[in-house]
Amino acid sequence: MTMVATAMAGGSLAQYLIISGVLMSIGLAGFLTRRNLIVMFLCTELMFQGVVIAMVAFSRWHWEVSGQVFVIFILTVAAAEAALALALVVLLYRRRDTLDAEAWTELRE
Amino acid sequence: MTVSMLNILQSAVGVPAVPMDQVVVATDLRWAGIILLLPLLSLLLCGLCAAMRVKSKLPAWCTVACLAGSFVLSVLLYVNYNPPGEVIPLLSWMNLSWGDGALNSFSANFALYIDSLSLLWIMFVTGLGTLIAYYASEYMEPDLGKGYARFFAGVSVFLFAMLALVLSDNLVMLYLGWEGVGFASYWLIGYYYTRPAAVAAAKKAFIVNRIGDLGLALAVYLIWTTFGTVQYDELMTVLESHSWRAEFEGWTISAIPFLLMLAAFGKSAQLPLYVWLPDAMEGPTPVSALIHAATMVTAGIYLVARTYPLFLLEPVSLHVVAWVGGLTALLAATIGMAQYDIKRIMAYSTVSQLGYMFLGLGVLTTYGAAYHVFTHAFFKAVLFLTCGAIMHGFAGQLDLRKLSGLRHMKGWRITSWTMLIGCLCLAGFPLTSGYFSKDAILAEAFVTQGPGFEILGWIAILTAGLTAYYTFRVWFRVCAGPVSYEPGDELHDDHGDHGHGDFHPHAPRFAINSVLVVIAVGALVAATPYFMSNKADANIAGGWVADMVHDSTARAGLPGLAESQHPHSEEVSHGAHEHPTLFGMDPHKAMYFVSGAVGLIGILLAAYLHLWKRKSADALRGWLLARGWIAWLPRAMERKWYVDELYHALVRAPLWILGHICYAFDRFIIDAVIVDGTARVPRLIARWLQPLQSGAVQSHAVVMIGGVGIIVLLLALCLRFEWLGVVL
Amino acid sequence: MLGWLLILLPLLTAVIIMASPARFSRLVAMLGSLATLGIAMVAAIDFDGWGTGRWGLESSITFLPELGVTLEIGADSVSMLLMLLTALLMPLAVLGSWTAVVDRTREYFGWLMVLASAMTGVFLARDLLLFYICFEFTLIPMFFLIAIYGSTNRAFASVKFFIYTFLGSLLALVGFLYVAWSLASHQGEWSFSIPDLVHFAQTGLTSSEQVWVLAALMAGFAVKIPLFPVHTWLPLAHTEAPTAGSVLLAGVLLKLGTYGLYRFALPMVPEAVVEFAPVLAILAIVGILYGALICWVQTDVKKLVAYSSVSHLGFCVLGLLALNPLGLQGSVLYMINHGLSTGALFFLIGMMYERYHTRDMNVIGGLASKMPIWSCFMVFFVLASVGLPGLNGFVSEFLCLIGTFAAGDTGAYPGVLGPWFAAFAAIGMILAAMYLLIMVGKVVFGSLREPAGVHAHDVLPADLNAREIVVLAPLAIGCVVLGIQPDFVMHAMEGSIAETLAMYPDLVPESMHAMGIKGVTP
Repeated sequence: MTMVATAMAGGSLAQYLIISGVLMSIGLAGFLTRRNLIVMFLCTELMFQGVVIAMVAFSRWHWEVSGQVFVIFILTVAAAEAALALALVVLLYRRRDTLDAEAWTELRE
Repeated sequence: MTVSMLNILQSAVGVPAVPMDQVVVATDLRWAGIILLLPLLSLLLCGLCAAMRVKSKLPAWCTVACLAGSFVLSVLLYVNYNPPGEVIPLLSWMNLSWGDGALNSFSANFALYIDSLSLLWIMFVTGLGTLIAYYASEYMEPDLGKGYARFFAGVSVFLFAMLALVLSDNLVMLYLGWEGVGFASYWLIGYYYTRPAAVAAAKKAFIVNRIGDLGLALAVYLIWTTFGTVQYDELMTVLESHSWRAEFEGWTISAIPFLLMLAAFGKSAQLPLYVWLPDAMEGPTPVSALIHAATMVTAGIYLVARTYPLFLLEPVSLHVVAWVGGLTALLAATIGMAQYDIKRIMAYSTVSQLGYMFLGLGVLTTYGAAYHVFTHAFFKAVLFLTCGAIMHGFAGQLDLRKLSGLRHMKGWRITSWTMLIGCLCLAGFPLTSGYFSKDAILAEAFVTQGPGFEILGWIAILTAGLTAYYTFRVWFRVCAGPVSYEPGDELHDDHGDHGHGDFHPHAPRFAINSVLVVIAVGALVAATPYFMSNKADANIAGGWVADMVHDSTARAGLPGLAESQHPHSEEVSHGAHEHPTLFGMDPHKAMYFVSGAVGLIGILLAAYLHLWKRKSADALRGWLLARGWIAWLPRAMERKWYVDELYHALVRAPLWILGHICYAFDRFIIDAVIVDGTARVPRLIARWLQPLQSGAVQSHAVVMIGGVGIIVLLLALCLRFEWLGVVL
Repeated sequence: MLGWLLILLPLLTAVIIMASPARFSRLVAMLGSLATLGIAMVAAIDFDGWGTGRWGLESSITFLPELGVTLEIGADSVSMLLMLLTALLMPLAVLGSWTAVVDRTREYFGWLMVLASAMTGVFLARDLLLFYICFEFTLIPMFFLIAIYGSTNRAFASVKFFIYTFLGSLLALVGFLYVAWSLASHQGEWSFSIPDLVHFAQTGLTSSEQVWVLAALMAGFAVKIPLFPVHTWLPLAHTEAPTAGSVLLAGVLLKLGTYGLYRFALPMVPEAVVEFAPVLAILAIVGILYGALICWVQTDVKKLVAYSSVSHLGFCVLGLLALNPLGLQGSVLYMINHGLSTGALFFLIGMMYERYHTRDMNVIGGLASKMPIWSCFMVFFVLASVGLPGLNGFVSEFLCLIGTFAAGDTGAYPGVLGPWFAAFAAIGMILAAMYLLIMVGKVVFGSLREPAGVHAHDVLPADLNAREIVVLAPLAIGCVVLGIQPDFVMHAMEGSIAETLAMYPDLVPESMHAMGIKGVTP
């Protein structure tokens, strides 16, 4: 246990996880409080990065490379998804001339 | 009392009516099937005529020809058949079997059972059917090209069903004929289908008959489960192979005759199921003559006569038959006295006469019943057909207050005199056919011992007087007296626009007149069988008709049978030794005088009130109505003893209300509350959770986070309290 | 192979219909259903199981061997008869909707063909999964037929029809799976073959298990039949469905329930059936009388005939519960007869509706003077339905009732019902005459009443045209033939019925003895 912990150069696992948690929380708070679709989208990206950091940290901690592989994979997918999402936001903006999330509540029964 | 009756019954059952092992399956008589097929052929031809829109009288000629063919074949069959009975298989129908032994097979086929009883019936059914169809060819003229073919198709269906009923060799085929005649009467009563009254009457006839049919159906089931067969020959063999009541015990034996009785009362219009018959007069008059006087209504008598051995197993059932018959006779006669529509009077008199026939069956004289059926068929057909001729000629006028003196009008003489013959027979005028046949029943009511049979006999005698009165009330009003008439409301197009002043009654022509004469002569000649000597058994009185009953299942109800079969046995005698007497004479002899006198009194009363002093009849009615204590009597008689109203209040209205209650229950309780209510439960839950789905992205996210939080909390709790181990 | 062809040919027809232009769809549907009828006839002639208990048309495709799922088909004589009824009704249904459906004809005839395929599949399935799939799949085409082509309240009716019957069938599935699971745990390997399951369940289930399985099966089949009190979907669905939909609903879909009883409940759980037959029979009798009384106060002709189905199917169930050959043969015959006569009544009402756009007896009446041919057919089929002897309805009703009546007596097949059951059910005969004749009296007879503002149909003549007569004539001929010569059908099904009832003769006396019913010698 201690051997693994010391193998993590430049800080303990806890520190990484704290950063990850902070990123996640900021993203969550932003997502819940802001109405602007682009900002909300950026906040989800923030949460996403929080998760990714946690993943890298655990990967390093377990000395298991597959975690890192996943991260690379996820980043690639995230890039594609970001492109798609922004395109969707543009489309939504064109429909209603606003970026307010409240404009889209059709899912309600 | 009952003891002696039982003895009679025992003797009657102990002596096999027809030695059934002698019943032959006669394949050489297969041509008899043509009797049944000819009416079907006529139906087909009439159907073709209707489809090709034939405007001539062709359908009538087809029907008359086919029915005449049936009649000729019936007579040939009578000449050719070998007593005591023959079974002629025609076509298989229902045959099931699933093993050996009793109750492991069921079979009912199209087969004919020929014995003298069925021969008696088919001869007068086809004979009168032919004549009435010929009569109708003229009567239905106004409908040429419209309903003409439909009418004759209906007559053909009726004749087919009636013949199937009479000739069937099993109870299921009888049921076919039974419902078939009901359907044919539905067809024919509802002939003028645009008239609401006709449609309602047709419906009523079918439904009331169906109540009787229910009895027949249940009786068939019971007979099959009790005796293992529904075929007459096998049934009789089974009945004879067991000694009296030894094998057959229990409620089924008692229930069978009562169910059969229900059926017979429905078809033959007895209390309490007679209400359909007077309404059935909505049909064209030949139909009334054919179905409601001569043939169909006697099917009930036929059924009881045919299954007489089953009735003998339960003496109480015969007592009930006698009493119902007697009371119906009286009740219908009182109603008939107070009606003004001559056709309805005839309808009630039919009900009344049928009551006599049942009385005859009940007091152990199937011979008397059969003889009365035979004579009644003729004289009642005459009466209905003359009513029809009058109705036809006077544009539907049937009110006896608005017609008078037909006897003196040109062209109406034949109608008047044939009607007189019919009336004399119906009234039981001495030496007419009705006199002899009615006496055979009346006298037997005094001879046979039974609960109150003597009272019943006096009721029947009273009824005979009433019959004579209301019959001649019609004749004296309509045919005698000064000439005067008003047309009815059915003016044909040719004088529709002239109004009353120009109305000319059109007198009947050849077809109607010839038929009237032939049947009237038949009604007179119908007395002769009484004097014919007996071929089969010299001890049995009653001549040809008794002969016809002698070779059949109804044999037990022959006067004098027991003496001839058991000359040495004291206690089984038909009552010869302890013969009750009437005025110190043998009841048969006494009845000649009593009924003759009663009939004459009735006729004289009618003559006084309706011929010599017509005003006095109205005065009498007014006098009765003015007295509070007796006013109910004429009123109730005119309103037919409120039986229709009673039916409505006791049967129709409650069922109708029940129907509405059921429908409301179905819609509001079962469907709305239970079914839709159950379906509403998930929706209610959804309503309750609905605020979680506001549609805004953020609120969805909050709910999601909350959900994740709950799951995490649960996991934590599980870890903390080691529930996880339990769950896994 | 013929069997698969019978199931797949309508499906193929549906595909062709969807692929071809809309104006050809009815023609393609007609040809497809006629071809199916032809194949069905060939199969019937080829079939050697008539009169015996043998199976024919057998064929199986291994599907999931490790789960014991082989798609197996086969038919005994009863399945064969019902399959023939389906094959006969299909071309008539297509011909009957020739002009009635104008919009979206492709989907209409497509769904009709899919329905045919599913119904045939139910009757031919010899494998539980195939049976169940087809059984449920009948709902989907019917759902769309009602939802798209129905009357005003069609959306609600279709959803209710779907959910109600679907819920019932799911419970039946639970019962089926329980039997299959018991079999698997008993034998160590899965099997969904119906004969295997039936054979196992007869002896392998305990009494209480049988009762639960019966309850589950009844949940499915009773809704489908429909038995009182789970019948309320039927009047709604019937009134809202298009004509051909009603015809097939009454003609075939209701029979899926009674067929299910015959094929599964009776042979699978005999002990439970003997125990609960009186209860179910009472429900059937209540249904007969209750349905009849409700018919009496209807003003909508179609609803009246729909409720009359509730009443009529009561007789059918009663015949099955008589547990003797008389009752069962009568009951199977009843299924066919009801398909013919009630199917025809729905056709007739559809023809009237096409001309007048109303079914209200208060608005319309006295049609005899305007539509004589239609009226003749109407009276004829009403009489067949009332059970006039000489027509088909009588024979089956008579046999069902006499079977019920005798089902309390000793004999080769003692039962648990008896005279009282038959006597009460027979009152339904009178009531049937009442409501149907009242209907005829109003609609056919009387003076002519037509709804205000009615004008001649642009295509159809005042009375029936040749096409419509062709639709009705085969049904009328069937009614007469089955009324006069029912023997050939009854002999045809004898063997299969005996096989279904094989368990009962020994079982019933025991249970009656246990219940202390007198009159039965052990």
